[in-house]
Amino acid sequence: MELDRRNFIKFVAGGVGGTLLSPLPWKLIDDIAIWTQNWSWVPTPARGKISHIDTVCTLCSGACGITVRKVGDRVVKIEGREDYPVNRGGICPLGMAGQQILYNEGIRWKAPMKRLGPRGSNRWKEISWIEAIDTVSTRIRGVRQSGNPEQVAAIDGNQSRSSVALLIRRLLETVGSPNYLVMPGQEHTSAMVQLLMQGSDGPVALDLENADFVLSFGCGLLDGWGAPGRMMHTWGEWVSRGPKERTFVVQIDPRASDTAMKADLWLAPLPGTEAALALGIAHVLVKEKLYHKEFIEGHSLGFDDWTGQKGITHRGFSSLVLEKYAPRDVENITGVKAELIIRVARKFAAARAPIAVAGRGKGLLPGGLYEHMAVHALNALRGRINKRGGALVAGNLPLSDWPEAERDSAARDGLERTRVDGAGTPHYPFARSLIHRFSESIRTGSPIDTLFICSANPIHTVPDSRGIEEALKAVPFIVSLSPFKDETSLMADMILPDHTHLEKMTDIVWPTGIQYPLYALSRPVVRPIYGTRHSGDVIISLAKKIGGSVARSFPWKNFEEAVKQRAKGLYDAGGGESSPEGSVPVWKRLAKGQSQSKGHSSFQSLWEDIKTSGCWYIPSHSFGRWTEAFQTPSGKFEFYSSAIEAAVKNSSKGGSLDTTLQELGIRARGDEVYMPHYEKPGSGADKGYPLHLLPIELINLASGWIGNPPFLNKTLFDYQLKGSDLFIEMNPKTAAEYGLSEGSRIILRSRRGELRARTHLFDGAMPGVVFIPVGLGHTAYDRYLKGKGANPYEIIERVEDPLSGQPIWWNTRVKVVKI
Amino acid sequence: MKSKDNATGTRYGMVVDLDKCIGCGVCVVACSSENNVSVLYDESDKTRNISWLKIYRITNGKGFPETEAVYLPRPCMQCDNPPCVPVCPATATRQDPNTGTVSQIYTRCIGCRYCMAACPYHARDFNWYDPSFPNGMDRYLSPEVSPRMRGVVEKCTFCHHRLMRAKAKAYAEGRRDIAQDEYIPACVEACPTKAITFGDLNNPKHEVSALIKSPYSFRLLERLGTEPKVYYLSTKDWVRRMADNYLEGEFIDRP
Repeated sequence: MELDRRNFIKFVAGGVGGTLLSPLPWKLIDDIAIWTQNWSWVPTPARGKISHIDTVCTLCSGACGITVRKVGDRVVKIEGREDYPVNRGGICPLGMAGQQILYNEGIRWKAPMKRLGPRGSNRWKEISWIEAIDTVSTRIRGVRQSGNPEQVAAIDGNQSRSSVALLIRRLLETVGSPNYLVMPGQEHTSAMVQLLMQGSDGPVALDLENADFVLSFGCGLLDGWGAPGRMMHTWGEWVSRGPKERTFVVQIDPRASDTAMKADLWLAPLPGTEAALALGIAHVLVKEKLYHKEFIEGHSLGFDDWTGQKGITHRGFSSLVLEKYAPRDVENITGVKAELIIRVARKFAAARAPIAVAGRGKGLLPGGLYEHMAVHALNALRGRINKRGGALVAGNLPLSDWPEAERDSAARDGLERTRVDGAGTPHYPFARSLIHRFSESIRTGSPIDTLFICSANPIHTVPDSRGIEEALKAVPFIVSLSPFKDETSLMADMILPDHTHLEKMTDIVWPTGIQYPLYALSRPVVRPIYGTRHSGDVIISLAKKIGGSVARSFPWKNFEEAVKQRAKGLYDAGGGESSPEGSVPVWKRLAKGQSQSKGHSSFQSLWEDIKTSGCWYIPSHSFGRWTEAFQTPSGKFEFYSSAIEAAVKNSSKGGSLDTTLQELGIRARGDEVYMPHYEKPGSGADKGYPLHLLPIELINLASGWIGNPPFLNKTLFDYQLKGSDLFIEMNPKTAAEYGLSEGSRIILRSRRGELRARTHLFDGAMPGVVFIPVGLGHTAYDRYLKGKGANPYEIIERVEDPLSGQPIWWNTRVKVVKI
Repeated sequence: MKSKDNATGTRYGMVVDLDKCIGCGVCVVACSSENNVSVLYDESDKTRNISWLKIYRITNGKGFPETEAVYLPRPCMQCDNPPCVPVCPATATRQDPNTGTVSQIYTRCIGCRYCMAACPYHARDFNWYDPSFPNGMDRYLSPEVSPRMRGVVEKCTFCHHRLMRAKAKAYAEGRRDIAQDEYIPACVEACPTKAITFGDLNNPKHEVSALIKSPYSFRLLERLGTEPKVYYLSTKDWVRRMADNYLEGEFIDRP
C-alpha cells in the first residue's frame, strides 16, 4: 500500500482512535496522577493501638485537665478533660498544640550542652550529664569556698508553690544565697493586696462561676487570664444561663479586646487610670449609701474618719472618695462618662453576687498595687469577701513540709547579705523579687557569679528586655535548665535541658485564681524522647554532688520522692477528693460542703489515685465567716492598711516622711498613702512622644516563656503578622493625624529604643494609643518564630510602680515615624 | 442534591453561636491537629496556607468606643446544593447521600481548582507545596487521616473519620443509630465556650434541629441557593445583615 497523504491521515486517525478506545491512555493518566502524588516525602503516619491518657497541662500555672490521644507510643492529639474540676473540657489553643512543643526538635535541646565560641554565637558541644553536673557543682563549691555564696542566683519561672520551685529555692538557701528571683506576675500584686488589706498570705481565690455580675478592670478574662481553660468554660457557662440569670460582665479596657467585645458593657478609660475609675464607682456606692452596712461597720477599718491609738484623727476611706472621686472628676481623669460610672456603680450594688477583679491582660506581668487595692475595696464595700460568688479568703493546701534545710556557717553568712535586687529592704518593703532591679544592679557592678535560669525566658518576656540581656552579658557563668532554644538559653554557658511538659511529672499547687483548694499533678505520657532530664532530678543530683550540708538537705532519691513526701500531708488532712465524678461541677457544691471522698486506706493508694486523676481537691468552703477571716492587726478588713503604715514608718526611720514617700515613688501625702488611691503616673516629658504604647496579649499568641507553636500561627490574622512584619493597632483617626493608612510602614520610637512595624487601623483601638501584641519578635527558636515581628518589651521604659516597686509596663510614650 | 429531597434521612449540620464565640482559635488548632493539616513557615500568606476552618473578625464599622467586633468561624458549609461538586472534572468531590457531607478524594483530584473557584465561601484550600512537618513533627501525625500531597485540593470533612469510628462502634454493639454526642467533629468537641453544636438537622432529638429554627439563626450567602448546613446564631442585627447582600431597607432589624 502506497503511503500517500490520504493513507497517512487514515493511519494517524485510526491510531488515535484505536489508542483512545484501548485502556492504555486512561491507565497512563491514572498512573501519572498516582505517581505525581506518591512522593516518598509525603509522610505515612504509622499505625498503632489508639489509647487515651488523662493528665494535666502544665504549660502555665492554670493546670487544665487534658486527655492525650496516643497511637502506639506517639502523641497525636491533645483534648480537654470534661471531668477535670478546673476546666471541665475547655483548654486554650497553646495547650491544644502541645504536641508541637514535644516533637519540634528545631526548638529543643536534646542533651546537655557546653558553650563553645563567644556568647550568643550558638556554637555548642554536647557533653554527658556526669560532666555537666560535675562542672556546675564544682563551680558552686568554688563560690562557696571563696566566701561569697550569695553570688549564686536563680531566676525561676515555675509556679511559686510548685515542688521544682521549692527545690531551687532550697538549693540557694543551703548554698547560702538570698538571690532567688521569680518572674514577675499579676499573682504577686494580688497576693500583696491580700496581705495589705486582709493580712493573709493565702492564694487568690475568686468564686467567678457563682458571680452574677463581674466588674473586670482590664482582666483579660477571655484573653488568657488565670487558668484560660477555666475562664473560657466559665464564660460559656455564664451566657448559657438564660437572659435573666445570665452573668453580667463589665469590661474596663482601653481597647476592644476579645473580653471587651464579649462583655455586656465595655468602658474604655485612658490607660493607667483604672484606679480612679474604681474609686469613682466607690464614690457612688458611698454617696448613695449602697455599701454593705454590716460588713463596713462590723468588719472594716478606716471607712469612716477615725481616731487612732495616740489620739490622732485619721481620714476615712469614705471621705477620701467623696472628696476626690466624684464622677465628674473621674470623668476628667479617665475619659469615661460620669453617667456611665454612676450606672455601673448602681448595677454593681443591685447585683445579687457581684465581684470586682483587677488585672491586665493575661496577668503574666504585675499590675499597679494601689489600683488593685482600689478594685478590691469595691468588693469590701459590697461585703463581697468570703461570700458565694465573691473573693474568698483561703488557707493554704495541707501539704507536708520537707524536713528543715540544713544551713552551715557559710550558708548562714551568705543569707544575711542583702538581696541584689533590694526586694524586702525598706525601699521595697512588700516586693519578694524585682527582676528589673536585679538586672540594673548587675549592670552597675553587683557581682553574680553563677546564675540559674529555670522555666523562664526573661530576655523576651520582661519589660525592658534589653536591660536584662545586657545584665546577663555581665554574669560569668549562666546555667540554663530550659528545654527550649530560647533567647535566654542561647546566652547560657551550660544547658541542662529539662523535659517538656508531656514527658514529666509536675505539680501545680493551687492553680491561678481557683476558689477551692486544688492540687494538680501531671504525669509523663511519653518516655523522654531525647537525653533530657527532669529539672527536679537535676537540682537534687547537683545538691548531692555539692556535698556537705547541701547534700544532706536533699535526702530524696529522685524528684518523685520529694513530691510524694509533700503530698503525704493531703492524706493526713483527710477529706478531699481525688477522683472527679464529673456530673456536678465543684463550684456548685462549695456551699453544701459535701465531700465524697473515697476514704483511702493508705497514703500509697491515695497517691496512686492522684497520679491517675491528676488532682486532689476539697469541694467545700465555709462562706461568710468574717470574724475569723482577717489576720490584719485590727482583725478587720483594712481600707487603711496598717501594714503600709508600719512599712513607711520603718522605711523613714530617722529621715523625713516626705523623702521616704518620694523614694517609695508615692505622690500622695497624708492618710491617703495608706489607702487605695489613684496615683497619677509620672509621665513627665511627653514632649516629642505624643502617643501611648500599650502591649496587648492575645489568647492565640503565646506570650510567656513558651514560644508560639506553629499551629497558632494559623490563627493569626494577616493584619497582625504578615511575612515578618508585625502590625500595630491604631485608631483610624490617630492614623490619619500622622498620614498613615492601612499597612503603612512605620518606625515606633520610645526613649528606650525603636522597632519597625506596619499599621492596622482598628476602630476598637483608643485614639492616641498604639497597641502591640506581645509574643513575637523572637531572635531564637526555629524558622516558625525567629525573625517574625517585633517585641514591644524592648522599647518599654523602666518605670516603677509606687510602693510595690514592680515594673510598670503600661506607661511608655512613643512617636511614630512613617517610612 | 436539593434540600427538599433531603427532608428525611440524615443531614449532619452545625450551629455556631456567635454570641458565645470568643475567637480563641482552639477550633482551628483542634481541626489542624485532628486532620494532619500542614503548617507553612509563613502562615501569614493566606492565599497559600491551609486552614479547613478559618476565623474571620467582623466589626460593625462604628467609631471608638461604639465599636463592636464579632468572630465568625467558617468551616466548609457542607451545602445541600454544593456548587463545588458538579464542576469537578475528576469526580474527586461528591456529596454523601447518607449524611449530606461533601467529601474530597485526594488521589482523584487533579488540582484544577475549579471547585475552589466555584465555592463562594473560600472553604477549599490547595496544596501549593509539599506537606511540611519538619524537625520531627511528622511524629504527631494521626493515621486516621491521610496526609495530602502537593497539587491537590483539601477541605473540611466534618471529621469524617470520626463518623466512621462511631459507626464501627455502633455496629460492634449491634446498633444502627448513632447518638448525638457519639459523632462530633474535633472543632465542636474542642470549643471551650461550647459555642458550636453539631448533629442531624433532620432528627428532632438532636439539639441542632431546634436551634436552626431560632429567629436569630442565619446562614452565609443564603440567597445563592447553596443551602449550607452550617448555621449561625447572633442576636446582633448587624451581624446577620452582613451574612448576605441586602438592598437598602430590605433587611429589617429586630426591635
